Amino acid sequence: MTTSNLETVLSAEDVRKSFRVGEREIEVLHGAHLELRARERLCLMGASGAGKSTFLHVLGLLEQPTEGRVQLQGKSAWELAMSERAALRNRHIGFVFQAYHLLPDLSALENITLPARIAHSYGTVPFDKKLHTSEARDMLERFGLKDRINHRPNQLSGGERQRVAIARALILKPEIVIADEPTGNLDTATGDKVLEILFNEQSRRNASLLLVTHDERLAKSCDRVLVMVDGQIEADSEVMIPQ
Amino acid sequence: MYVRFLSWRYLLRRRINLIGVMGITVGVGALIMILSIMTGFLEESRKTVRGSLSDVIIQPLNLPRADGSLVPKSAERLLEHLRPDPRIEAVSAHLSWGGILLQTGWDVSESEYRLKDPQGSELAFAQFVGIDVQDEFQATQLREALEREGEYRIPVDDVENPFAAPATHDEPEFYEWVVVGEQMARVHNLYKGALINLVTVVPSPMTDELEPSSRKFRVAGTFRSGENEIDLSRIYLDRWELSDFLSDTHEFTQVLVKLKDYEQERETIEADLSSELAEARLIHHAKSMEVRTWESFRGPLLGAIKNERVLMGIMLALIVLVAAFTVFAILMMMVTEKRRDIGILTALGATPRSIMSIFLMIGMWNALLGCSLGAFLGILGAIKIDAIEQWLSATLRVQIFDREVYLFDHIPSVVSPIAVVAIVLGALLATALFSVIPAWTASRLHPIDALRAE
Repeated sequence: MTTSNLETVLSAEDVRKSFRVGEREIEVLHGAHLELRARERLCLMGASGAGKSTFLHVLGLLEQPTEGRVQLQGKSAWELAMSERAALRNRHIGFVFQAYHLLPDLSALENITLPARIAHSYGTVPFDKKLHTSEARDMLERFGLKDRINHRPNQLSGGERQRVAIARALILKPEIVIADEPTGNLDTATGDKVLEILFNEQSRRNASLLLVTHDERLAKSCDRVLVMVDGQIEADSEVMIPQ
Repeated sequence: MYVRFLSWRYLLRRRINLIGVMGITVGVGALIMILSIMTGFLEESRKTVRGSLSDVIIQPLNLPRADGSLVPKSAERLLEHLRPDPRIEAVSAHLSWGGILLQTGWDVSESEYRLKDPQGSELAFAQFVGIDVQDEFQATQLREALEREGEYRIPVDDVENPFAAPATHDEPEFYEWVVVGEQMARVHNLYKGALINLVTVVPSPMTDELEPSSRKFRVAGTFRSGENEIDLSRIYLDRWELSDFLSDTHEFTQVLVKLKDYEQERETIEADLSSELAEARLIHHAKSMEVRTWESFRGPLLGAIKNERVLMGIMLALIVLVAAFTVFAILMMMVTEKRRDIGILTALGATPRSIMSIFLMIGMWNALLGCSLGAFLGILGAIKIDAIEQWLSATLRVQIFDREVYLFDHIPSVVSPIAVVAIVLGALLATALFSVIPAWTASRLHPIDALRAE
């Protein structure tokens, strides 16, 4: 897919991020930039400690940059009030983490519908228990977890947990899915299954996917690849992958 | 919506919350139950204390005035002055005197020997109260006290004339008849017709020195006022008989006054009657506290019970405070345990304020469940306290509430709705305050740090 002519759904300009460690100020991101276009699958690669995760957290509106802008839905996200930013994150970004990050006290179904419950509190999407439960059930069925609906995370395998996490990320049909090493904790066969589901759903829903990975094999399945080195996107790193 | 959903879920999944709920339940329940019982005791004691007295007690001081005059020896002028007063319903003259009750068969010489005994353990103090029966019935609750059931009751043959010899007593009569307190009868193994020897000292009309005097009486029956001290020491007899026993030195010591509307008059009656009676020269002086309401007469006793109630309230409120501390500790623990959940919720779009609300609400669920359960059990316990006490006494084989000591047929208990509401609101407020710090701590967690938490 050629993505250069598609509209930008998420962009970062000259993002800098420093952390204070004792007396020292350490800059992790040195003016990173990125554009995620509608419906594209963008892969962010880089060595450990390159700043990928920090950049991802800034893009996901979880970490405030020291400098720079993050634009989402045409709004400069870090200039918004905290609750507006939280509502934006809830409605337009779906997260898939390496460590799944499901709430252990909720069942698979409840974990999936949780973003819809939160959206209801902002009034952006009214929570319709019947509708959202039915959607969650459909997804679980498609993901091969029909008989795991009422299981809690500790009763599921790693692959099953990640599939629940993908369903949770997609329940509100967000424009953007941010996946941080989604197969990092899984064996190859399970990881492939999970990725297949993630890619299928992304295509089905016309969402944009920002994928952070070390896996070059995985990068080949994306539309574009960016490489991060020392807190910056390498100028000549962009690779367009013909699909 | 999700705040309520998650807080309820966390509450149910973490059983440690039960400890917080139980702590509040115990604190609130105990506070309601004990305060209800203390209120019951206070009300019963007020009734009991008032029952043996009347609304107002006039106790003229027998001291010479500046001009050398004394208050009248006879009660008649005082009674005649009081009876037409529109505020007054009934009056009764008392002649109250202290002395010793001697065991049956003892004579005066033995009593004199006993009086010299420094241990004095064999001596039974007695308060002789001379009354005019019909006046007393109208002004006090003596009739009820004569008719009140009790385990050791010896009923008088004729309540209307309690000092009359029983019909079955056909011996030639030398002695007058008296009515003794039920506890006194129990302690001294007295029975109907038992001969008792009363000993006292009386100022000699000739020399003004104290001289011993004794007289034998027969027991006509018992009364049960409900006030242990009185039931243990008081002996009622005819006022003129007692005056005669005291060599006619005194005719009365007090006048008891029953008002038509005590609640309306209670604030002003002492001052009003004092000045009126002082002006009529029927008491020593208007400012010498000779006219007192029953509440000021027994102020220290009622004050002690009230103080006990306040102290008990403070002590039990500490239990609620400890329970609130427990909720604080549990919530702090949950915040530490749920760090990752907090990060996840933030990633899914929750705000710090809603994270704070989740933990505040867990505290409030603890408080609401604890308070509801505590209020229910506390009220139930207060209402069923007799059954609970009897079951506990039977199970533990220990008499927890000795009805003979307290002289109540039941454990008195009055549940005050205002007190229940105040206790529940207090517990809710305390728990809410103690939940604020953990909830605030949770809301301050950085989402990325929280997500990285293991």
